[in-house]
Amino acid sequence: MAGSALRRLMAEYKQLTLDPPEGIVAGPISEDNFFEWEALIAGPEGTCFEGGVFPARLVFPPDYPLSPPKMKFTCDMFHPNIFVDGRVCISILHAPGDDPMGYELSAERWSPVQSVEKILLSVVSMLAEPNDESGANVDAAIMWRERREEFNIIARRLVRKTLGLPT
Amino acid sequence: MQLLISSVCMALTSAVIGNAYFQKQQFYPAVVYITKSNASMAVIYIQFFVIVFMLGKLLRKIFLGTLRAAEFEHLLERFWYALTETCLAFTVFRDDFNPRFVALFTVLLFLKSFHWLAEERVDFMERSPVLGWLFHIRVGSLLTMLGILDYVMLMHAYNSTLVRGPTVQLVFGFEYAILLTVIASTAIKYVLHAAEMRTDTPWENKAVFLLYTELVIGLIKVVLYVLFVLIMAKIYALPMFVFRPMFFTIRNFRKALNDVIMSRRAIRNMNTLYPDATPEELRQSDNICIICREDMVNHSKKLPCGHIFHTTCLRSWFQRQQTCPTCRLNILRTPAINSTAMPRPADDPAAAVAANQAPVGAAAAAPAAVPADDGQANGPLAVANIPAPSFADLFGDANGLPNLNAFQPIPPPPMPMLSAFMMPPQFQYFTPPVPPPPVPLDLSKFTDEELRALEGQQRQHIEQRLKLLANITLMMDSVGMLMNQYQNMTARLQLTPVPTVATTGVSSASTDSEGATASPSPAAPVQAPVYDKPSTSTAAAAAYTAHQINAAPTVITTANAGQGEKVTIEDLGAEEDDVPSTATGAVSLLNTSDADNGDEESSELNVLRKRRLKFLDERNKPQADSTTTSTYPD
Repeated sequence: MAGSALRRLMAEYKQLTLDPPEGIVAGPISEDNFFEWEALIAGPEGTCFEGGVFPARLVFPPDYPLSPPKMKFTCDMFHPNIFVDGRVCISILHAPGDDPMGYELSAERWSPVQSVEKILLSVVSMLAEPNDESGANVDAAIMWRERREEFNIIARRLVRKTLGLPT
Repeated sequence: MQLLISSVCMALTSAVIGNAYFQKQQFYPAVVYITKSNASMAVIYIQFFVIVFMLGKLLRKIFLGTLRAAEFEHLLERFWYALTETCLAFTVFRDDFNPRFVALFTVLLFLKSFHWLAEERVDFMERSPVLGWLFHIRVGSLLTMLGILDYVMLMHAYNSTLVRGPTVQLVFGFEYAILLTVIASTAIKYVLHAAEMRTDTPWENKAVFLLYTELVIGLIKVVLYVLFVLIMAKIYALPMFVFRPMFFTIRNFRKALNDVIMSRRAIRNMNTLYPDATPEELRQSDNICIICREDMVNHSKKLPCGHIFHTTCLRSWFQRQQTCPTCRLNILRTPAINSTAMPRPADDPAAAVAANQAPVGAAAAAPAAVPADDGQANGPLAVANIPAPSFADLFGDANGLPNLNAFQPIPPPPMPMLSAFMMPPQFQYFTPPVPPPPVPLDLSKFTDEELRALEGQQRQHIEQRLKLLANITLMMDSVGMLMNQYQNMTARLQLTPVPTVATTGVSSASTDSEGATASPSPAAPVQAPVYDKPSTSTAAAAAYTAHQINAAPTVITTANAGQGEKVTIEDLGAEEDDVPSTATGAVSLLNTSDADNGDEESSELNVLRKRRLKFLDERNKPQADSTTTSTYPD
């Protein structure tokens, strides 16, 4: 019998494979190591990210699900809640103890009830509706708030890039 | 790349050796020639390191196979730290600096790297879905080999220190002792992981074993580090090179200690506060533990909020956070508040009342109950001025302490009745003060016990719920009555100005707000004897004690007694038992029966009254000295 973290990840993988949510594909990169996953997230329809397929990497801690995984986009992203290096900054991925942005309610933090599926769904909704108050990428936040047109152009260019189309 | 370096190195070495041999033709002169030439020696040293590196690769191939990317990264990171620390150590032992010394340090670093790798491998066990027999053989032999080597080196260092006094061997002895502890903890972890793998069900106590292993090993390491620093500081200089590892060790130890404490608390709470989930409850829910996503067959616990989890899952979560994973209800809140509010239970009315009434054995209320017991032991004391200061205090305290419910006794939804009183300023003209309705209970602050008492389908649970509902109705009634009173009074005030009586001797009975307005409280002297005997008959006593009691009828009389009083305001000299029973008909009937026939009260009521009075005595004792004298000027 393997560790509880591994069993839980296997269970989540099984569930995600059997009943995948729309626009999300996720699974371990290799079945030897269930603690590193790759996810593909389709840009939500009706937003500037529509049509894009964004690859991301999820790294799970040994004590998952007691601690949250880390998520990082492996493609270029320009979004108020995604750091320039691709790390995703949403409250669901923060352990209740630490508060990098200083204002998150503990109610929206990580808890074992969350799952990979919920994380990815929140990321999708984050793509659709950026929270420009927690600026992981301040430039993007300001642009999103003040020069939406410009932001949309950059986002569309990113979408084309992820699809391998000429920008 | 590596191949290139090693082949270049090989070529250089063979060139150096070949050159020396070619020049000197004989073995010893050639050796002497090489050792005399710095360039040759440099080449030889480099060759030596290359050989060590190759040996390391070979051993890794044998014992570990291919390294994972993460393992390699960690190894590199730790290796560089260890290297810098070694260089720092060189500064302390610059007198002993010679090739032998460097060789010993190289061996140490070499062995250290394998310790780290072994640690990583064993940690990986928990994450790997499949592990073959090869893995076990490799890890087993690696651990054994490292353990033996550590022991040999430690013994060597020990003996050399004994023979030659403190030298650099002290450092090595200490380092190998630390490595031995590492090997010990790795081996224990390996055994635990392997044991869990052999069974088909999750091993529940593994986390606890791991925790205690961590704690013990951490303690040993901390002691070793401290000893080493002390010895080194005494013999040589302050060993800067162990500060970094020492810092991390101490931090880990603190974390382990904290974890153990949290875990123990979680286990204790789990065993005492939360009931096991019954099969019916499991059937009602979807039967899956949301933490591990597995079926709950047995060993599951139900939290006060009704969510059910595996005992072990819950325990490991509670080590980090004391909230319900689903709804984030803070499950440790009650005990936490108890401990913070403990220093002042005596001046906290609800606390002391609760403590007086609560069963002392109850886990949550136990700390608060201790001081209250003292109060009970002291017995009732006659204190003249109970009502006035208590009202003022109660008013302030109740508002200042939002979490009074923490102190509520165990079986007790209706408790809020006791917790606080409202004291509208107008009432200071009335004597005795009109007992106002109890402040309603904040339903969001139920303690676990209260909540549990309300849940479930058992008869007593339903009774508790009914009791709570009855209390709510009561509160509504009393609010209505109070409103009535207000209206009556304002009408009266408009008609006849309230007589202000300058009974200075008596007025001192009241304190704080009431004392400031110098309100007459002619009842105070009368009440003094009344409070000697809890079950006496004056309306004041009845009213005062009655509203401390949960029983439904008494609360009504509380409000009614107030109305009765209202009628008597104008004849100030009147005794309280002379309450005219005309004013409010049936209502005052209740009141008088309660007031005059106190002895006929149910024994339960009397007991409650006595407790309440004891509590009041205890509360007012500090003030008693100053006030009683002035209350009885003669």
